[in-house]
Amino acid sequence: MSTPIIAKFAVRTLGRNVRRTLLSVVGIGIGVAIAVFMTAFMRGSTQMRVRAIAESGFGHVKVVPAEWERSRDNDLRLVDWEAELAVVRATRGVKAAAPHARSTALLGFGTRVAGVEVLGVDPVAEAETSRLVRAVVEGRYLKDGDRDVAVVGRTVTDRLEVELDDDLLLTVVSKGGEMEYAMLRIVGIIETGSRDMDASICHVMLEDVERLTGRAGAGDISITLDDPLRMDTAVSRLRAVVSPEDDVLTWMVVVPAQGGDYKSDKGFMNILAGTVLVVVILGIAGAQLTAVLERRREFAVLIALGMKASQVVRLILLEAVVMAVMGAGVGLLFVWFPLHQTATKGIDFSTMMGGDLAMSGVLFDPIMYSVPGLWVLPYAFIIAFVSTLIAAIYPAVFALRTDPTSALSLREA
Amino acid sequence: MQDVLVGASAVTKDFHVGKITVNALRGLDLDIHKGDFLAIVGPSGSGKTTLLNLIGALDTATGGKVEVFGQDLSGMSRRERAELRLRSLGFVFQAYNLVPVLTALENVEFVLELRGEDGGRRATAMSVLEDLGLGELADRRPNEMSGGQQQRVAVARAVAAKPRLVLADEPTANLDSENGESLLKMMRQLRDEHDMTFVFSTHDPLVVAYASRVVTIRDGKIVSDIRKNSGEEAPGEGVEVRRKGTEPPGDGTEVN
Repeated sequence: MSTPIIAKFAVRTLGRNVRRTLLSVVGIGIGVAIAVFMTAFMRGSTQMRVRAIAESGFGHVKVVPAEWERSRDNDLRLVDWEAELAVVRATRGVKAAAPHARSTALLGFGTRVAGVEVLGVDPVAEAETSRLVRAVVEGRYLKDGDRDVAVVGRTVTDRLEVELDDDLLLTVVSKGGEMEYAMLRIVGIIETGSRDMDASICHVMLEDVERLTGRAGAGDISITLDDPLRMDTAVSRLRAVVSPEDDVLTWMVVVPAQGGDYKSDKGFMNILAGTVLVVVILGIAGAQLTAVLERRREFAVLIALGMKASQVVRLILLEAVVMAVMGAGVGLLFVWFPLHQTATKGIDFSTMMGGDLAMSGVLFDPIMYSVPGLWVLPYAFIIAFVSTLIAAIYPAVFALRTDPTSALSLREA
Repeated sequence: MQDVLVGASAVTKDFHVGKITVNALRGLDLDIHKGDFLAIVGPSGSGKTTLLNLIGALDTATGGKVEVFGQDLSGMSRRERAELRLRSLGFVFQAYNLVPVLTALENVEFVLELRGEDGGRRATAMSVLEDLGLGELADRRPNEMSGGQQQRVAVARAVAAKPRLVLADEPTANLDSENGESLLKMMRQLRDEHDMTFVFSTHDPLVVAYASRVVTIRDGKIVSDIRKNSGEEAPGEGVEVRRKGTEPPGDGTEVN
């Protein structure tokens, strides 16, 4: 089967003004490259953020008492945490689950005190879910069988002027409203790179928190998922198996500041990429319109010969599609190097973050990576096609308005 | 009585240029019959091209009625008029207006493609070119052909789909006498062999000489309509022909 003449017409037309076609293709390529790069980087940034949140003790999702979302009260406890932990771990899509019991407390050493949020943990589960376990710089993390020991942040030890193996006085308010005391030996010191975050770290055994506060059980179960992108499915599954008096919340609800940042970052990137594409679309539309204006007599003749509106539009859109294919190719060429660099070496934001890598209790990685993949290929072509076709709409409409009577006169169309 | 292909009665056409209304056609009546080799002549601005636009369904009349093949054009949509042009009309333009990026063969084939013809399209286009003695030009693009060659290919494009009526706007204006005459012979042969009807808007005495019927328009009205005894006269026979710039004023058959 021979190539339709209309296709030859479209392709060869682009060769009439090579400079204009090349400029348009480069314009599309730049737009595609920016959109691909931003999307790849946004994916990397989102993955990094979600991983950082999950590994900072919040999990991807969390089982909490139903009341917790409203009150944010650390004294609330799950109905039957051990049974819930078992069913959660057995749920499809759950990678790891770690129970926590929290309480506000004062740490004292001599005349010096520091306010902290004591976190009661299961050390084995915590090692599977929390990056803080790997941030121990002196001593060790908690282990099964420990009692009356603590792992604290570097800022805490600095403020209290204590060191490894010193005994801290822990004061908490019990369930009955009475002050409870315990002596905790420091077995490990955590240094996250964020002094603010280090100032609030005090990990103890879950049983110690139960005993001191008089509140049995865990207050939440932090869950990491096999596929964080399928968080909504996981939430539905988990809600079906946990007690009706408990709830399953996503990290966006648990850490609303991060949820807001995520949404605003995503929105900003989308607006930025959208703005770039709009500029590109306007540029292409301008070039296409000029090309149509130059060919008004030609369109008048074609319409006079009986070319239908749909055929005129098809011709112009075909020209746009050819440019889109070339533009997508050029865009992929442009973006290959920056994408490769940021995917393998990343961009180090530690200087920009002022050395403080924590926000809202989340410990971030200082280096962000882009996450390219095979999706880049269809994505680049879709972006190029959509933007070029949008850009071609007005010139096509303009061509349709050509007065065919101008074909029979020497007047300009 | 010959078949009437085009019937125009009391046709008016007004154009608005700013606040001024130009009456291009003022109650024009004309029947075009099957087999006519009709030249429409008249001074510039007399309404020749406007009339051709109306007959060719490129424009609609302000008043009166234009019927082409019995169909009233005023009641037709833009799409229907496009369909009519594609199926039943052929156009030849003064400036040839071939698609510059297509070869001669592709230019002819393109019209067939627009008509939705599939199998054998290329063969049909080639056969049209060869019938008109243009086979050797098939692979040439317009910029590789002379004006005369381009206009002959334009005729091939116009007649490829075997239209019943071919409208030609000053087809010889850009050609020398030799090429002009060759083109007219080709078109008259097409009329004779394929039962086509040709209507020319022209200033060229040569076209008038070849025409079987000459209609003169002045100020939007027909001032004379001369039918020769047959369309086979040699140039100059049956009508006074003068080249441009030498014509006497006021004659019903004058060529401007």
